[in-house]
Parts: sequence; C-alpha cells; structure tokens
Amino acid sequence: MIKIRGLHKSFGALEVLKGIDLHVQPGEVVVIIGPSGSGKSTLLRCINRLEKLTSGQIIVDDYDINDRKTDINLIRTEAGMVFQQFNLFPHMTALKNVTLGPVKVRGIPRREAEALGMELLEKVGLKDKAHVFPDQLSGGQKQRVAIARSLALKPKVMLFDEPTSALDPELVGEVLEVMKTLAKEGMTMVVVSHEMGFAREVADRVIFMDEGVIVEENTPRELFANPRNERTISFLSKVRSPIE
Amino acid sequence: MAGHFNFKASVIWESIPILLVGIKYTIFITIFGLVIGFCLGAVAGLARTSRNPIFYRMAGFYIESIRGTPLMVQVMFLYFGLPLALNARIPPLAAGIGAIAINSGAYIAEIVRGSIQSIDRGQMEAGRSIGLTHVKTMLYIIWPQAFRRMIPPLGNQFIISLKDTSLLVVIGVGELTRTGQEIIAANFRAFEVWLTVAVMYLVLTMTIAKVLRMLERRLEIR
Repeated sequence: MIKIRGLHKSFGALEVLKGIDLHVQPGEVVVIIGPSGSGKSTLLRCINRLEKLTSGQIIVDDYDINDRKTDINLIRTEAGMVFQQFNLFPHMTALKNVTLGPVKVRGIPRREAEALGMELLEKVGLKDKAHVFPDQLSGGQKQRVAIARSLALKPKVMLFDEPTSALDPELVGEVLEVMKTLAKEGMTMVVVSHEMGFAREVADRVIFMDEGVIVEENTPRELFANPRNERTISFLSKVRSPIE
Repeated sequence: MAGHFNFKASVIWESIPILLVGIKYTIFITIFGLVIGFCLGAVAGLARTSRNPIFYRMAGFYIESIRGTPLMVQVMFLYFGLPLALNARIPPLAAGIGAIAINSGAYIAEIVRGSIQSIDRGQMEAGRSIGLTHVKTMLYIIWPQAFRRMIPPLGNQFIISLKDTSLLVVIGVGELTRTGQEIIAANFRAFEVWLTVAVMYLVLTMTIAKVLRMLERRLEIR
C-alpha cells in the first residue's frame, strides 16, 4: 500500500530524515514511536506530500507521489490525514466539515454527501452534533469529526499525526476507540503516537525512530518486551509509566 | 470689524438642502471608490501572500508608492497630469472615484494580506489533505475566515476614505466640501457653513461606525 525507499528530507541545512525505507501492507496498522524531533511527523507528512521530499521515493497505492504525472490531490484523498491540532474548519458545522471533501473534490451531490456525512458522524458517535460548530465541541469530539472528515473521501490509508497529544487525558479514550474500530475494519493505518497501550493492543508493527532513521521495528509484543537497540531501551524506559 | 460676529442660524437651514446634494456625491464616490478599491486590494493583497516573485513585487510597488505619497498629489496627478500624457480628458467624478479606489486599494491590500496570513497554517494543510486544490482551499477555507477578520479594519478604511473625498475639492468634484465652499463664496458665512459641513461628516461617519458594530456583533454569533 505504501512503499518508501531511501527517503531523505532536509529543512535547509537540517536533515530531518536520513534514509527511510518502509513498506506498509494493505490492512496493516503501523505505529511509529520515538522522541520528539526524531522525524516521525515529517515522515508522515511526506507520505501525502504536505512536505516535499528531498530525495528518495514514496509509492502510495501504486502512484509515485513525486511523479509530475501524479495528481497529488487524488493521492491526498487516498491517504487521509488526521492532525494533532484537529484543524477543523471553524466556520462550518461538523456535518459541513465532513461533506466539503465529497462535494468539492469528488463532485458528489450535496444530498448524497450529507447522507454519507451523517453515517460517518454516527460511526464516530457524533450524529447529534452534526449541526454544531467546532467551537462548541470538546477536543475529543473535534478529533472524531476530523476522522470522519478524512473518512468521507473513502481513503485507502489513514495517517494519524499524534491524534491524541493535544487532548485532555479523559478525552483520549474516545478517540482511540474510534481508531480501534477502524483498525478492526481492516483500514491501513500509519499512526504517530505516544499511546503505548494503543500500540500494544492494535498495532501489527511498531517502529521506533530516532534522529531521522528507523532504529528498530518489530511486533509490539517483541519490541516492548525485548527491545534490542540501546536507544529503544532508553526511550521505552522513559515513556513507560511506573505503574506498568 | 473684530468682535462684531453674530451667529445666524438661518444660514444653516438655508444651506442644508444644497449640502445634501453634495452629500449624495460624497457617498456615491466613497462607495464606488471602495468597491473598486476592495477589488484592487484583494488582488494586491493576495499577490502579497503569493510565492510568485513577480506578483509579489508588483503588488509591493503599488502598495508602497501609494502609501508613500499624499492623496492630494495622487488626485492632482490623476486629474491634471495623466490626461496630458494620455491626451484625453478624465471627467472629475471618474478621476475622484479612481483616486479613492487606487488609494484605498493599497491600504486594503495590507488588510487582506494580514487577515489571510493570520489564519492558522493548519487550515491550509487540512484543506489540502482532503484533496482540495490550493485555489479551492483559499476559496472555501481561508478566504471566508480571513474575510471575517477584515471587517473591522475595512470599516475603519471606509471612514478614512469617506473623509478623504473632501480632498477632491481640488479638482472641483461637487461633493460635500466643495458644496460648502461654493455656498461660502456666495454668502461669506464661513462659520455657520463649515460647522454644518463638519456635523454632516460626523453624522455620516458615526452612522457607518454604528452599522459596522452591528455587523461585527452579528458575525460573532455567526
């Protein structure tokens, strides 16, 4: 579904990604963990070309995203993105947020799009908030609307960029629930997250990144139980809460 | 003779109907000038947010040259100077509207640029991430949010431009100030007439301010 080869990304003189190779299979859930500044978010943002690659190749669903012939707007509908800061459109109701893509990108008639929108809002448990503006929603509700907004384009992959990092602790669960449901339905997902519990429960594979490279990858069970690299061991010991 | 000034209220009542004709011109010039000025300002303001260096510099030249020169000079250049080069007369009213449009456009461009740049970057990214093109994201996501933020400074510009129309007196457009001048030329009652003119401007600007406040409040509620 996603094939990344030799990906490098620099911001000016600062090299953030130093040669990433990663394949994601259809239906796979990959969770990327790592310290801040390790390039996790940048990697995710390269996949739908919110950041331009410096060198290397990314293939999404058989399309080379750096090829001039590829319609990047099409790729972006295939790879839905969920942001840490939600980025809902504040001047539109929840339903409008969800239907904008189908109507303006896909050209679906408004009524049909609204039926789809209601269905998706119901799926994320927010059918009753359809006509509410974002400023009247909690963080968790906003993020669920944002997920519905991405799903409205029927993407083949969902990219999550720290989807729960801006949420109050008691609101994290409702967002993770929605993500778990998606994973169970067979959605291909790449998730940058600090939620180790989620990774353990849902991920097929966990990737540990540090300083622009993939240091270690494995099944969550193996990676959390027997980390091999010293940097992984040190990181995991820092993020593990004392209770675990 | 000093010290023998006597206020004549009747002068005020007599001049009001004549001044009202001038007010019509003032309002007409302001509205048309600002509508065109907004179009100019929107284009120049968008160009200022563009990564295209040609658009960016052209808009910069326009904004800087207008903001850096007095409106009075712009008006006289447009009405007395330019026709010589073009070998064609520009009617005073058209020159007046044009001057207000070009002048306000430069200031509105900065309002537009600032409002657009004040919208969080995440909005553009979210728009692009659902597959909207740059233009469509601007149209449906950025512009509607930016426009709301433009309203208070645009209201301010409305009031400034309205007062600026008084400078058109130098090219003889029959707006409010010019009308006042003509009345005084006939009756020499400068105190009463200029007082009336001033109050009329004040009523106009206060009305605009009030309408704008109502509009802002309505938009806040949404």
